[in-house]
Amino acid sequence: MQGCKQIMEFASGNEIAAIAIKQIGYDLMGYYPITPSTQIAESLDLMKAEGKTDLIMIAAEGEHSAAGICYGAAVGGGRVINATSANGLLYALEQFPVQSGTRYPMVMNVACRTVSGPLSIKGDHSDIMYMLNAGWPILFAHSVQQVYDFNIVALRLAEAVRLPVVVAYDGFFTSHQKRRCMRFERDEDVRNFIGKKNEPYPFFDLEHPITVGSYMNEPDIINNRYQLHLAMKEAKNILPEIFEQYSTLCGRSYKWWEGYCHEDAETLLVLLGSSFDTATVAVDRLRKQGKKVGVLTLSVLRPFPEEELAELLRHADHILIADRQDSYGGAGGNFSMEIRAVLQKYGCMGKVKSLVYGLGGKDFYVEDALAMFETAEENDSKTLYYYGAEKGSFQQAKLEQEMLFAPLSAERTNISATVVQEKQIESQQYSEDGNITEYKHLADDNITEDTHLEKGNITEDTHLMKNKQVIGGQINQTAAMPKRLAPGHGACPGCGIPVNVNMLLRAIEDPVVLLFQTGCGMIVTTPYPKTSFKVPYLHNLFQNGAATLSGLAEICYRKQKKGELPEGDIVFIMVSGDGGMDIGMGSALSTALRGHRLLMFEYDNGGYMNTGYQFSYSTPKGAVSSTSHVGSNQYGKQYFHKDMPQLMAATGIPYVATVAESNPADFIKKAAKAADYAKKEGCAYVKAISACPLNWNDAPDKERRVIEAAVNCCYFPLYEVERGITTLSYDPQKTGKKIPVLDWLSMMGRTKHLKKEEYGVVVESLQKEVDRRFLCLQAKSENPYL
Amino acid sequence: MEKKVVLPITDENGYYQIRLESIGGLGANLCGKMLGELGLKYLGLNSVSFSSYGSEKKGTPVKGYIRYSAADLDIKLHSPIKNPHLLVVFHDALLSDPSVLKGCESGTDIIVNTVNGKELQKTFGAEKYHCVYSLDAQKIAIETKSRINVVMLGAMAKVMGFVELKDLNEICKDSLGKKYPASLSQNIDGIRRGYEEVDIAFENGGGKDRNCKGNATKEKDCKSVQESVDCNRDVLIWGYETAPIGGINTCFGNSVVNDLSPSRQGYFPVFIPEKCINCGLCDTTCPDMVFQFQKGEFKGREMMVNKGLDYYHCKGCLRCVDVCPVHALVSGVEAEHPDKKYFMPNQELLRKPGNYEKAGYDGYITSEAFLTEQRMKGGEV
Repeated sequence: MQGCKQIMEFASGNEIAAIAIKQIGYDLMGYYPITPSTQIAESLDLMKAEGKTDLIMIAAEGEHSAAGICYGAAVGGGRVINATSANGLLYALEQFPVQSGTRYPMVMNVACRTVSGPLSIKGDHSDIMYMLNAGWPILFAHSVQQVYDFNIVALRLAEAVRLPVVVAYDGFFTSHQKRRCMRFERDEDVRNFIGKKNEPYPFFDLEHPITVGSYMNEPDIINNRYQLHLAMKEAKNILPEIFEQYSTLCGRSYKWWEGYCHEDAETLLVLLGSSFDTATVAVDRLRKQGKKVGVLTLSVLRPFPEEELAELLRHADHILIADRQDSYGGAGGNFSMEIRAVLQKYGCMGKVKSLVYGLGGKDFYVEDALAMFETAEENDSKTLYYYGAEKGSFQQAKLEQEMLFAPLSAERTNISATVVQEKQIESQQYSEDGNITEYKHLADDNITEDTHLEKGNITEDTHLMKNKQVIGGQINQTAAMPKRLAPGHGACPGCGIPVNVNMLLRAIEDPVVLLFQTGCGMIVTTPYPKTSFKVPYLHNLFQNGAATLSGLAEICYRKQKKGELPEGDIVFIMVSGDGGMDIGMGSALSTALRGHRLLMFEYDNGGYMNTGYQFSYSTPKGAVSSTSHVGSNQYGKQYFHKDMPQLMAATGIPYVATVAESNPADFIKKAAKAADYAKKEGCAYVKAISACPLNWNDAPDKERRVIEAAVNCCYFPLYEVERGITTLSYDPQKTGKKIPVLDWLSMMGRTKHLKKEEYGVVVESLQKEVDRRFLCLQAKSENPYL
Repeated sequence: MEKKVVLPITDENGYYQIRLESIGGLGANLCGKMLGELGLKYLGLNSVSFSSYGSEKKGTPVKGYIRYSAADLDIKLHSPIKNPHLLVVFHDALLSDPSVLKGCESGTDIIVNTVNGKELQKTFGAEKYHCVYSLDAQKIAIETKSRINVVMLGAMAKVMGFVELKDLNEICKDSLGKKYPASLSQNIDGIRRGYEEVDIAFENGGGKDRNCKGNATKEKDCKSVQESVDCNRDVLIWGYETAPIGGINTCFGNSVVNDLSPSRQGYFPVFIPEKCINCGLCDTTCPDMVFQFQKGEFKGREMMVNKGLDYYHCKGCLRCVDVCPVHALVSGVEAEHPDKKYFMPNQELLRKPGNYEKAGYDGYITSEAFLTEQRMKGGEV
């Protein structure tokens, strides 16, 4: 093949990956946004909106599903791409051995990022090392240029050996730094190199139906696994050939490893990713001083190039293997342990040390590389170092611990401004609509079913037909409630999240325990070593918050029952964004179905705002986002907003409500009711529409008006479903305040484009859907059986 | 592209280094991207640009980094820039944060966006820099209907000395022209005025040696490299010996010591107590717990009464001004109210924080594809 024409780009690793993906001409991308890999989907969506690619892009509700979408599409014979990082990779993990074991090729970009307990979004290699046993070849790019090249090589390799392949690179250092790189000018050149896809067992050949994914135990599975082992060997054989062919096209040649001044080095530093480049600068400095040092990195982690590595390391006296992750309790990071095994196998005699550095994206300077060379040559018996961990200062820590606020005891929060009472329903209230006797029976059933769960204090008369009534809850009086959130959080000016959380909590006079799912609300309130919470608080990953809170609550109730904790009501509250209610939908619905006594509070700003506004399932149809661009080929988000309150109502929990800050009195009353249900009866769910000036692209000071318009256009109707009975809290039609949905959409930059005539069809369909949902609510509020 | 700029000064690795100090919302990130592309496309240089990354928030510190080198040189470093040749401060409030000037040396040029360049010398310590420049970029941006970032870009070109205005105009067309053709001429106007109006605020005797070699951070005589890395680090309070296990934070509510006033962009709510009816709506709309309601008496009735505003935490969103039914809260230009009459720090505090830390959290961008689009009123991140 002849060399092909190339052009220069100034791009980040993610951007160039997107360009490669577009040029290859994949059929489908299944993905879920996660920092720092999200830009790939964002860039591709922009290209799609502009008509530059016809890639099918499916944003799943989580990485597990994204991997499933990819798998299905790969089985169907499509060319498939995915991109993920960190916790997302782990969430999808179980899917990966399935795909390699059933031998369906695809490519996945992994912008490597920390996997950790206290959440970190920065780059290290703790995620990618979980892939070592998945049966996927792993190419590791240490530069932006390699991200492009390896993406093209990866698909060739994948289809040649029928295995899915990972292209890994450093999150942020490589994924986000914009650098000079070359790419092919013409897509055809890329496509010619990739070639035609060959399918040994076409799934859609109806004349020859096949079964994929048998139930297989011994004696068969070991044979299937051995085939996989052989496929990896085959990958080892043919990758040099693919690299060679690729270099004839572009002039850039690759091999298993890359080295700098390593040939005659007495001391070698071995590390992965972008650190390699930085370390070469240290090598230059030390060489000037006459020191024989060098640095090595690997371009391929699977299949592991052991002979090649052994050859490279054979002559060094000192070898330091530096890992950006740790296999805790092992002899160092995984990379380090594998290299040690190779050295032992091939009888290399150099002194080997392992070092863990750069966790959580801690920057790697030339000085750090110099220090590592010093460590390598140090004459000591230590073999494992932690580089960059710091002791801290006891003296200052003591000062920091001096209390800033008094704890929020029950006495302090019990301000008697908002009181909830049980109220007998007037029988005539429903006499026109239905048979009240039957209706009572229906309500009784609900409660009886609930009582088999361990409940603390259901009052004797709950079997009577009752609803809760809130006394007080006035705005001025509830201002006396001490804030559970401290100021100084980092939310954007005008952000709706603290507004909504404060509004909810000002109505709740019992002690509260808060669990936040991952999202803006969590990020802005708890950047270590600061926290805005004055009450017990827990964060868990957003596919799991509701389940976590149910465990937490049940232990508290048990301890109270056993007398290990004092009696007294505590309200358990999960706070989640609409993003958390996408990926965590299963957990939230299941928690509701189990009927735990807790409150779920959703702030819905209609997008994944924390990661740069990718659309969520709750984003309005037609809205622009970083994964639903507007262009000649796309009008924004393609489908309707999710109706989470109705999903929750269908679980049969005793209380569901929607609230808006534009109606504060209604909000406070519902919050009080929800808390009362949560502590006495079962699960309560409250959803607020929450302003995001940054991504709604409107003025922060006008947010309450925008929220009011959302309510008045019935996009966000205010209602409650109390023990199965729907009540509309506010009917804008009756007050003459009803406005068209477009009036609301016009107030936000993200939906302003819908004013244009060409988007009339989109607006009309949204208006119809909003009207339909509101008519359903009206009907429900008029008939207790609905 | 035939032009090849020769960098007038470089460090030992052959790089000319620029660091941008900003807060989200002022456009430093886009400015950094434009500078990076400028180097590659119009100056015939090799270049790299990146930002401090984190979660995406407005009003929080952002650091931008640009490295230029000769075209035939690879830029190998991936680490942030410690010793810049040019430091650009997008908001003078940031100067109170010691990390902003860190690593600047006698060879460093500094540009500060400030209303009053003449007063600037007072905020600087004894450290010697090459030259400190200033301009009122906010004013220029308002007058030209452009953005602070393009005005700063113009000023930077002037100070760097090797960038011509026409190249800046080209990169501006590339970056902004496609998306905002209507505002292109305004932005180009903003660039030109930044270029013309940036002026020397003071020279404080920095040396003629423009080679920033990291001397400022190597003052201490250290025995080993490891030690020199250690002794140049800031003291960390919570380390592996002091921090509670598991990342647990026992200092509840300690975000209160953050001073978020640099988030305000010129305006803030002014309280007129005579008009206040203590309805409490302001307290329901404020995201930042600014309003200090206490038990008191109003028109003979016992109720919660608004005693003042905690301006340490007010980010200037002006939600309260919009909801106040009686105009007891109005928007004011902050510079015109130096006394802040009804300033009342958080009343629930048991003790005064040792010091309020300006501008809050670490810095901030994850998503670039969306960054070039117009954000909030006046906002490209």
